[in-house]
Amino acid sequence: MSPDVAIQQALNGISFGALLFILAAGLSLIFGMMDVVNLAHGAFYMLGAYVTLTLVQRTGQFWPALVLAPLVVGLLGLVVEPLLLRRLRGRHLDQVLLTIGVSLVIADVIGLTFGREIRSIPLPAGLDRSIEIGGSDYPVYRLFVIASGVAMAAVLAAVHRRTQLGALIRAGVDDAPMLAALGVDIDRLFARTFAVGAALAGLAGVFAAPVFGIFPGMDVDALIYSLIVVVVGGLGTLTGAMVGAGLVGPADTFGKVLFPQFALALIFAIMAFVLLLRPTGLLGRVRPAR
Amino acid sequence: MRGVALAACALLASAALVTFPVWSAGWESSRYATTILRDMLILAIFALSLDLLVGTAGLPSLGHAAFFGAGAYAAAIAMERAGSDDLLLALGAAVAVAALLALVIGSFSVRTSGIFFLMLTLAFAQIVFAAAFQATDLTGGSNGFAGVLRPTFLGLDFNGPEALYQLVATIFILVIVILWRIRSSAYGRALVGLRENERRMRALGYDTTRLKLSAFVLAGALAGLGGALSGFALRFVSTNDVSLGRSIEGFVAVLVGGSGSLVGPAIGAAVVLYIERVLSSAVPFSETVLGLVFIVFVLAARQGIVGIGRAAYGRVRR
Amino acid sequence: MIETVDLRRAFGGLVALDGVTVRVAEGERRAIIGPNGAGKTTLFNILTGELRPTSGRVRLAGEDVTGRRPHELARRGLARMYQRNELFDPLPARDNVALGVGAARGPYRPFTRPPAADVAAADALLEQVGLGDRVRVPARELSHGERRQLELALALARRPRVLLLDEPTAGMSPAETARITSLIASLERTLTIVVVEHDMDVVFRLAERVTVLHEGRVIADGTPAAVRADSQVNEVYLGKVVA
Repeated sequence: MSPDVAIQQALNGISFGALLFILAAGLSLIFGMMDVVNLAHGAFYMLGAYVTLTLVQRTGQFWPALVLAPLVVGLLGLVVEPLLLRRLRGRHLDQVLLTIGVSLVIADVIGLTFGREIRSIPLPAGLDRSIEIGGSDYPVYRLFVIASGVAMAAVLAAVHRRTQLGALIRAGVDDAPMLAALGVDIDRLFARTFAVGAALAGLAGVFAAPVFGIFPGMDVDALIYSLIVVVVGGLGTLTGAMVGAGLVGPADTFGKVLFPQFALALIFAIMAFVLLLRPTGLLGRVRPAR
Repeated sequence: MRGVALAACALLASAALVTFPVWSAGWESSRYATTILRDMLILAIFALSLDLLVGTAGLPSLGHAAFFGAGAYAAAIAMERAGSDDLLLALGAAVAVAALLALVIGSFSVRTSGIFFLMLTLAFAQIVFAAAFQATDLTGGSNGFAGVLRPTFLGLDFNGPEALYQLVATIFILVIVILWRIRSSAYGRALVGLRENERRMRALGYDTTRLKLSAFVLAGALAGLGGALSGFALRFVSTNDVSLGRSIEGFVAVLVGGSGSLVGPAIGAAVVLYIERVLSSAVPFSETVLGLVFIVFVLAARQGIVGIGRAAYGRVRR
Repeated sequence: MIETVDLRRAFGGLVALDGVTVRVAEGERRAIIGPNGAGKTTLFNILTGELRPTSGRVRLAGEDVTGRRPHELARRGLARMYQRNELFDPLPARDNVALGVGAARGPYRPFTRPPAADVAAADALLEQVGLGDRVRVPARELSHGERRQLELALALARRPRVLLLDEPTAGMSPAETARITSLIASLERTLTIVVVEHDMDVVFRLAERVTVLHEGRVIADGTPAAVRADSQVNEVYLGKVVA
């Protein structure tokens, strides 16, 4: 691999990692607070991408999607949590199963509404250029994704460090009596956590839409990648999502270039290796089995 | 006396099931019903094998399609490569490959439990999916493996729809008998112990990691058997058979029917297949219906249809 | 029969055990006492293999078993009654104990029913712990005292050589306490018993020797009378409880 190709692929890997970080941070946030692995996370991501598609088709505008899509997906999360998950509070595994049903419904409704073809949208105006890096052209949009990932990491880290929500997550407080004793309105806290986590998935869907295309099945891809990221990095911590995304993004990108036949095998090998050494991920919080 | 009566009933029911194409021959829709019933039984084998993990041993696997698909591909490829349509060759290859795969995936996954186990099995099954997708020489990749042979055994030819149905029904009954024996065996009890209290099992001297792995391999092998039958039935194996969608199908069947029983997953399989085959030809949103049915059962009837039946029976008796 | 040599265990910065050496002879009845946080449960968790020591050794019947996993220790004759019951809740009392009785044979008999002898042995054990008329009752429907009795029956199910009892009378009424104490006292003399207990009457009734733990160290070790007379022990522990 020549140096300029290597630089290009490194940037590709980092931008993929940035996207994965935004995606996995939402999954990890929900788990950190509620002990629920949201298997509808991929469907939320898909919904974010289709909201973007609709917006671009109707108005020709991409940028409003960065606000609108997370808003729509977040609102859906704000409905799903109280309506469904809350009824099973404390039964974490059943809550996880419930999210499977939610993802089936969301993916099918999207398919019914938009059809089952692969769609694409153009790169947003202003970022549809390339600039020269290391002797060859590199698309500006991917650099924008990297910058956005870093910005999101900074914002989330600040939230994590400065807010009550962050303090609760860091303390690993997740049982209802304890939270109530601290004077927290659990219903509101969980609904908002779930909404924010969902919104992050929606946001990742917006960023991904111009690059990876919009198609049925994208929900499963996103779910699997985000699961691998949190399994590698460790569930429930922000740094875990960061480390996991930072490893998986570049590994997957280089894997696809170097051994196209075994691209997926490479990241799964990383996952298996990490699990052998540390069953709860590199930075995972140790939790009781159930 | 009661045992004899039960055995007689079971025998009669089995005979009725296997001879369905014969006694339904007069019906206008006999052919269609036979096909639907055949595919229900195949899905039921898959769901029953999954329930050995979910319901009996308390291991919520969301990657069970890996073994179903591995079995389907293995049987199809073995017959093609060997140029033989021998039933034992096909089923042997399916069971062996599925069991081996389960051994590999299981040795990683069974070290965890609960939600982590669910995530790991899901992620590992996705590798298998990716491998099936990429290994186009073997599997046909995204085009699938078309023209799967239908098997013969000791001069019996399972090419015709009725004969094939009878093969499927016989193996279904065999699987039920195997699982029924397991449930009342020392091994089955140990799996229930595992589900109820792993810590105590360890303290009693059970090697719980090995026990879980053995259940995982056994369930994988049975799923592989179901996969092989699916290949025969449809004459086609595709990445759908190793997909997350298939795993979810099995899980929905187990939960809707009622986990931890022999009847539940079979009933659940019938419900799922009804929605996916019959309902889907009437309305376009059958997948949504499936999702909603699943949500309702998880929320309101976690014990499934069998649980509802038991509760109703209990009320009547009182 | 069972002994520890200079056992240490730290959780992060917190030192739970700080060089504990305890030697229990075959057939001995030993009590381990100490205030909350003294390291008793940590010690038990290491003895049963559920926790690895940071350093130090554990020997069982002369064999170094440090770091062995719980099921390996159970197979070597170690059993434990948990402080918080670890039962198979939906199963009848009989099936609970039968799982323990059958454990010695191993579970890999997928097609044969558990032999009737297992059930008979389970029933005999339940009779022994006073649950003879409750064999068909699911564990979760038993009273707290009965659940403790079932917990004891499960610990005895593999015919252990060493029995670790973690607060056997926890949460019991005086009548239930008296019953389980005499039950334990009546167990075969060849059985080595180590008991952690807060109720001093129970300790002095069961134990031939008493080891006192305080802040992860052994501060006294001797006959019940000697320990009762020890001024340091009285200060940190007994004084507060008994006086």
